[in-house]
Amino acid sequence: MHRVLSNKRAIFWMVFPGFAVFCFAVFIPLFYSVFLGMTDWRGYGEIHMVWAQNFSKILFHDPVFWISLKNALLLAVLTMLIQHPVALLFAYLIAKVGGKREKLFRTLFFVPCVISTVVTSRMWVAFLSPTYGLVNHFLKAVGLGFLQTDWLSNQRTAIYALIFVIMWQGFGWAMLIYYSGIKGLPKDIMEAAKVDGANRFNLLWHITLPLLRPVIVVNLTVALISSFKQMETIFLTTNGGPGNTTQFIANYLYTEAFSAQKYGYANAISVLFVVICILATVILNHSLKRDAIES
Amino acid sequence: MVKKSISRALSLFLAVVLTAAVAGCSSNNGAASSGAASGANGDSSKKVALTFFSNLPDRSTGQGLLEQQLIDNFTKENTNVSVTVQSLQDDPYKQKFKTYVAANNLPDVFMVWGQPSFFQSIMEQGYAAELNKGDYDSYDFLPGSLDGFSLNGKLYGLPRNSDFMALFYNSKILSDNGLQPPQSTSDFTAMAQKLKAKGISLFAIGGQEKWPLAILWNDMVVKETGSDKVVRDAFTKQDFSDPKLLQASTDFQKLAKSGIFQASISTDKTADAQNLFAQGKAAMYYSGEWDMSMATNDAFSEDFRKNLKVMAFPTAEGGSGKLTDIMGWNGGGYAVSAKSPNKDAAVKLVNYILKPENWTKSGWEQGLIVPAQKFTDYMTGKETEVQKSLVNILSTATSTSGTPVNDSGSAQFKTDFETAVQELATGMIKPDKFIQTLNDSVKANPVS
Repeated sequence: MHRVLSNKRAIFWMVFPGFAVFCFAVFIPLFYSVFLGMTDWRGYGEIHMVWAQNFSKILFHDPVFWISLKNALLLAVLTMLIQHPVALLFAYLIAKVGGKREKLFRTLFFVPCVISTVVTSRMWVAFLSPTYGLVNHFLKAVGLGFLQTDWLSNQRTAIYALIFVIMWQGFGWAMLIYYSGIKGLPKDIMEAAKVDGANRFNLLWHITLPLLRPVIVVNLTVALISSFKQMETIFLTTNGGPGNTTQFIANYLYTEAFSAQKYGYANAISVLFVVICILATVILNHSLKRDAIES
Repeated sequence: MVKKSISRALSLFLAVVLTAAVAGCSSNNGAASSGAASGANGDSSKKVALTFFSNLPDRSTGQGLLEQQLIDNFTKENTNVSVTVQSLQDDPYKQKFKTYVAANNLPDVFMVWGQPSFFQSIMEQGYAAELNKGDYDSYDFLPGSLDGFSLNGKLYGLPRNSDFMALFYNSKILSDNGLQPPQSTSDFTAMAQKLKAKGISLFAIGGQEKWPLAILWNDMVVKETGSDKVVRDAFTKQDFSDPKLLQASTDFQKLAKSGIFQASISTDKTADAQNLFAQGKAAMYYSGEWDMSMATNDAFSEDFRKNLKVMAFPTAEGGSGKLTDIMGWNGGGYAVSAKSPNKDAAVKLVNYILKPENWTKSGWEQGLIVPAQKFTDYMTGKETEVQKSLVNILSTATSTSGTPVNDSGSAQFKTDFETAVQELATGMIKPDKFIQTLNDSVKANPVS
């Protein structure tokens, strides 16, 4: 076997099929997408080159693209500032509970992630309905009737209602990853800190969080990319409306391709989409990398 | 030497196995397509496998059931033919249809909307097979009903129904609240305010899908100006700046702001709006004749069905349009793929479904449709009140609009118009901005 693995030709033939599949599945579609992004193709008929025209139109003359990007950034920021600290806190608390209750809470918080997005999205549309919705009924019941509104149709509340739904759907994943990280932390360091007189807060702030940094970085990166890629929940709840108030990039490029029949333009959006995702990930990783503790 | 040979053999084996596994996927497709091609010459002894793409996903009730029954009857009479049906609701249908077009792989038979935004490019680019006009001399299609399915004198599709808009209403909700059916659009505001106090909306409309709002806007233009001419002229001139269109847009927004629609307008699809209406949460439902089966569908309560009435969309105060100037067109129908290897069998299937004694007779008798073919011979005298009212609306129409505004331009214009009309309805943009958006879009995306 050692002889096989040291033979360059053998290595080539073993790597080739996987590499070929990777090329067909990733590189060729990506280059084809870049090519189509430089055309005015409508999904049928002749293809005409327009070169950078689509890209300049998107960047300088397409307000919907910027609304979509702004919404994605808003989702990413709110996810990181609200969902993740809460998920981390819950993961910490659940890890401390122990026993059967730990398993129960872990399962309960993860249930929304197991249910289909279609189901949870439509469920929240029903909850937030101004006619039948539980949310408005609840507000009225507790004396907050003045807060009642048509949550997903009101242009002032729609984006925040939608972001809340998306955060609720993804909470279980974020919590589970933090929980796994906490469970994997070395116990000897904790014990040593306790012996040195560290209280619970000191343990959390000076030991647990620094050791969890790699997990936090991965989790936030995943959250960032998920925020940019968000599509299903938008499509199933507001479909970007009212108007384009709740539009997101993935949903917008889908609309441009399959409703407006502008495949070339939609491909240009998708190329920029990839570039933005990569840039955002690099920036996030770079900003969180400094003084990271290698576990 | 032996070890070297073994290493070569081992690596070759791995390469072959992995490559074969990948190739396996495409070989399956190849087998499927070669099987489908076996009946290309229409020989009745050869097996023919047809694919059928429909926008009627409910195959157990209504038009979907009727379509399925006719397909089943066809395959019983033509035992060498099998039909695989794929069905989706309108919006996903349109999106998947475009994917098929992009891949140049349309199903043998597919549903089409005979409207420029959907079908014109399909005809122009040669995706739909030409049909022989002579085959349909005995089909009694209503005058003008084939226009949206024809290009340069050639026929590429056949319509199923005569589509027109109407205002369904729950007579009990109105009478319980001391209200009469509206005489003009100016009655709407007062009616809405009275019903709002009881938690009932005046209008339910599928605002998330946007197209019902677009047609409602068009209906208001017709009622205010007496015809659809001002919209047609706007397309010809690529300019929607006519003051009449601005006035109609202003009135449309005024009505919307006065609270005539359900609060959840931006998130309700047509099915949600219909549900609100059927549950008594809305007194009226703006839709087309295709919803006439609400009167016979057991899924709705008997009380609702008993009180279901329908009228033409009311006139506008001071407008020159009459109650009999209606939004009407021939929308949905069938076409056959020009690339189909089983074209003869596919055309035969379409012809069978749309034989007057099949779709028209059965659909009318079951209270499902107002056909695109002459159907007076099939009147039984047992029609529901809703059916009779709808026939009356259509037969007394003094003018019909033709294709609605949102479907009269390019696909991009449709998207722009529908988004803008939703913004107008929800007060996000003012009428002059709405007109400006239409002008920008129609100039940038002229109909090819």
